[in-house]
Amino acid sequence: MDIAFLGSWLGSVPTAAIPLLLASVGLILSERAGVVSLGVEGYLAMGAMAAAAVTLESGSLVLGIAAGVAAGALLALGFGIAVVLLRAEQILAGLATMAIGLGAAGLLGRDYVHRTFEGVTNVDLGSLAQVPLLGQLLFAQDPLAYLAILLTLGGWWLIARSHFGLRLRAVGEDPATADVAGVNVQLHQLFAVTCCGALGGLGGAYLSAVASNVWVENMVAGRGWIALALVIFARWDPLRAILGAFLFGAVEALLPRLQASGFDAPVYLMGMLPYALTIVVLVAASCSRARRNAEPAALGQSYIRQDRR
Amino acid sequence: MIALPYTFALQRRLTLSGRRGVGTFVGGLAAGILLGLALLVWAGVPTESLLDDLFVQVFISPQGLAQTLTLTVPLILVGLSSAVAMRVKFWNIGIEGQLWLGAIGATAVSLYGVGPEALRLPLMLLASALFGAAWIALPLVLRLRLQVSELVVTLLLSNIAYLLLQHLLFGAWRDPANSFPMSMQIGGDERLALLGFGNLHSGLFIALAVTLLVAMLSERSRLGFHAAAIGANPQVARAAGIPVGLTLAIMVLLSGALSGLAGGLIITGSEYRLTQNIGWNMTFSGIVIAFVARFKPLWILPTAFALAGLYNAGSTLKVFYGLSDAVVVLLQGLILMSLLVAQFFAHYRIDMKKEPR
Repeated sequence: MDIAFLGSWLGSVPTAAIPLLLASVGLILSERAGVVSLGVEGYLAMGAMAAAAVTLESGSLVLGIAAGVAAGALLALGFGIAVVLLRAEQILAGLATMAIGLGAAGLLGRDYVHRTFEGVTNVDLGSLAQVPLLGQLLFAQDPLAYLAILLTLGGWWLIARSHFGLRLRAVGEDPATADVAGVNVQLHQLFAVTCCGALGGLGGAYLSAVASNVWVENMVAGRGWIALALVIFARWDPLRAILGAFLFGAVEALLPRLQASGFDAPVYLMGMLPYALTIVVLVAASCSRARRNAEPAALGQSYIRQDRR
Repeated sequence: MIALPYTFALQRRLTLSGRRGVGTFVGGLAAGILLGLALLVWAGVPTESLLDDLFVQVFISPQGLAQTLTLTVPLILVGLSSAVAMRVKFWNIGIEGQLWLGAIGATAVSLYGVGPEALRLPLMLLASALFGAAWIALPLVLRLRLQVSELVVTLLLSNIAYLLLQHLLFGAWRDPANSFPMSMQIGGDERLALLGFGNLHSGLFIALAVTLLVAMLSERSRLGFHAAAIGANPQVARAAGIPVGLTLAIMVLLSGALSGLAGGLIITGSEYRLTQNIGWNMTFSGIVIAFVARFKPLWILPTAFALAGLYNAGSTLKVFYGLSDAVVVLLQGLILMSLLVAQFFAHYRIDMKKEPR
């Protein structure tokens, strides 16, 4: 393995990592407000389909990506109304949302399958990309990747440093207390859930409009679930989610590269690596005491003011 | 905030009346189905052919009924699998993975000629159940020993199981005579007997017998009683001296075995070979069936039958109106969501008061 190989491998990591990162940050927002959004796989699918369909129809990538974000947010808003206002059971409603998202993406996008389009291209910063090892990773990515990092930092600031974040976290830890203090629990949860959908939609749009320039059914391939595990690994902290997403992106990006360089390994067994790694990381993260302290105390419970003690 | 002239207060109903429970359930189901029908019409299915495509062709016409009953067999088993696990509040969302492993197990027994030929078929089914149970053992152990949530682990193991299936089908098990990745056909005496009604096979009786067994187990046995107690409240169950870990382990392994058996019945009953196309969407279907059947084993039979009709109609929709399998998933999602939301009206009432100013 030489420097050039490492450099180009590292350069391809963000493409695999960004969808996971966006979905994880969305999930962190939602779970910090006490709502488990198991439908994130569906948000990704809707985002990927809508971005491809609208780009193909309008010819505008910006519109396409905006449509991806909107599609994810809309699906999440429906989920939010079900679990936050109508107090549906979160896990089952999340699974139903996932099915609705995957199914609707397949149905609405049936005319756009396998149609390639001109996707987002990488920025050109001239010779900066020639810097050995890290040049491609840092200076030759697409604009959305940089935006995703900014969004993650923004999400961290929102949760950890803003007044709004304080209220959001209070809702996730102890909704009754937050309610007494005058925080509108339902509004904060709805906002967080919808943001989760918007970020998931953007992650999906990234999959179709940046990573592959085409939409096919099942292209999400369990990334939503990897993101769910990443959230536990990241202890509900967006900054640690960057680390986690890039770790996974590195594994995912390594596989095609190893094959291209003539490394003979069973394709399908190698394909298991990201999933197996997720389980290992989840186990390691679940065992640590820090995780138990970081988990929002009221995660997954619906709150009714009249039940307050 | 907007000042409303009224204040709303959500009140939890203290008692859940049976009639209200049934009413909201039926209402939710009806709303979900109507929503689904509207969606089909919107997607281009002519209104006048809905009754024919979704009902007559799949439940009344002999050909369609036979096909629907054939599809019912694995659906009964995955529904039971989901219900058994949910009874102890274990989220088994890796049913597809256990089903694939079961199919792999049954095929392995056939390919490697395990055991005497006379016992081959029962051995294949036994292997499928064991493989399915083995595939759920890891999330079970992680949950019991390390409190790792089974939600993500069971699901990701499905992805791994599918890659294993592909590894075998594109490698060692590939039938060289076939251009598609599939294993060799199993022998004639390794197949379940056909009942002379379309492709319907004796796996139907196996599914019915298993349903009765599970019903006895969960409604009449000590194990079922313990499981119900754990499902209601694990802390209280533990305090009452119920062996929580053991009961959970038995129920969860049973869940995996049932999913695995579903795979075994698909191989020995209808496909006769391992392919990439079996078992899709079974996880979610299992959950929907279990939920609609209210986790009652006997209710799973009609529910699985109804859902099999939907799957059967799905292939018609695919051929005639170009709707992909996704539409079946979407309809199931809408029905489940509608039922979940409808429960709101059973559990809560809204009090409205004029705001004193």
